[in-house]
Amino acid sequence: MTLQEQIRSNRLRSGIVVFGFVLLLLVIAGLVGLALDLSLGVAALVFAAVYGLFALIRSRTMIARMTGAQELGPEELKPLRRLVENVSIAAGLPVTPEVRIVDDSAPNAFAAGLRPERSYVGVTTGLLRAMPKRELEAVLAHEVSHIRNRDTYLMTMATIFAGVIALIADVGFRAMAYGGRSRKAGALVAVLAIVGFILAPYAALLLRMSLSRRREFLADAGAAEILNDPEAMALALRRLELDTTSIRYAEASVAHLWVESPTDRVESERRGVVALSSWFNTHPPLDARVAALQEAGGFQLPERLPPDVPFASELGIA
Amino acid sequence: MLWLWIFIGLLVLLGILGVLGYNRLVRLRMEVDTGWANIDVQLQRRTDLIPNLVETVRGYAAHERGVFDEVTRARAAVQQAASPGTAAEANAGLTVALGRLFAVAEAYPDLKASENFSQLQDDLTDTEDKISAARRYYNATVMRFNTVVQSIPWVLFARPLGFREREFFSAEGDTAVPQVSFGTASGT
Repeated sequence: MTLQEQIRSNRLRSGIVVFGFVLLLLVIAGLVGLALDLSLGVAALVFAAVYGLFALIRSRTMIARMTGAQELGPEELKPLRRLVENVSIAAGLPVTPEVRIVDDSAPNAFAAGLRPERSYVGVTTGLLRAMPKRELEAVLAHEVSHIRNRDTYLMTMATIFAGVIALIADVGFRAMAYGGRSRKAGALVAVLAIVGFILAPYAALLLRMSLSRRREFLADAGAAEILNDPEAMALALRRLELDTTSIRYAEASVAHLWVESPTDRVESERRGVVALSSWFNTHPPLDARVAALQEAGGFQLPERLPPDVPFASELGIA
Repeated sequence: MLWLWIFIGLLVLLGILGVLGYNRLVRLRMEVDTGWANIDVQLQRRTDLIPNLVETVRGYAAHERGVFDEVTRARAAVQQAASPGTAAEANAGLTVALGRLFAVAEAYPDLKASENFSQLQDDLTDTEDKISAARRYYNATVMRFNTVVQSIPWVLFARPLGFREREFFSAEGDTAVPQVSFGTASGT
């Protein structure tokens, strides 16, 4: 599959998933309309459209604010920016994405932006302190291939849809629980609506998961191809796996994902951002990703990672 | 009558496949062209840095004429290269010549301490990294393009339609880019 074909297949898949989300949204709005009031159902759809558009336009800055990613001055961390530049050239991106820094000790990275020309890569200070140059480059290549494959666009859409569906379901649920249903609706419709409101956010989550897991393997493979070095990617993943700060982070994110109450809107929005940013949640286990790279590259990682100088020392921020 | 319809159907199908395949070839060729443009930009940047570098070194080591000539010749060879293959070779030659120039510079502490020199050295290292990045992308696109051009059925039609295999950008010994470094500029 060439890159262009991959991008097109990604677009097709995005189309299908967006269609799934729209369907889900219609079902939820329909339930609101049936169980409560028809005008409320229409209002929910209008609200969803407005909210969705607003979120889409604002997504770039919203993600930056939620992750705490800071823009860099023109002379700051030049070696890091050069790495991103080189990786983007090797990836064949027309424009080098911006680099932003998140002051966080957990090693992590993310990519954001609807179009490749207006994207950025966020990197935590913890990542710079944990990774030597070769592995950092692999992580950057992973994020750059997310941008190249239009994954960032897709995941932003998915996050917005999931958020809006959770919100409407939440309002619907509360209205049913406290406000009582309208007289017209029968008991069956009421039960159906309540079940729908409870399940809808999970359905949205599943839709999103179905997207992101495959994307991660693709981005890993993309990074290996960009650098012509699958071992670097595998080493970076193994290092993330061994890192205790990252494990703490991972557990927290996974807990968000599964245990979290879908009735909390702030939480579900947070979850959306975390899913974009985190290497862990909604991602296949690191082990499986390392295994896939080992198989593709025909190598075997050593038990222990070789000691190495983290890139941060080269940047002078150790 | 039925056979006629089947025949027409097959023709239409073949036509659709042909159009799709042709468009794919055009797309692949465009990727190759973009990839080559990326390399070209970086090669240009590299050759642009050299006069300045030679002048800087000459300021401290005027009598090392042989090395300057060699670098200048190697630079001209890169600029005159007409195909990816020769460009890669010339570029590798330039790397060797620059290696010699930097080895000469070793002997002049004042030169090494000069800010201008270390800036140029830093830029050159960066350009070399970028050339090798651009090469990876270009070679990958050439690989994809050539694979299609060489496989059936395109091996029969590609040439008459004007799709020729492309050259890789690679030269012997080019894979390990010699490190231009004595004391990494970014670390100090």
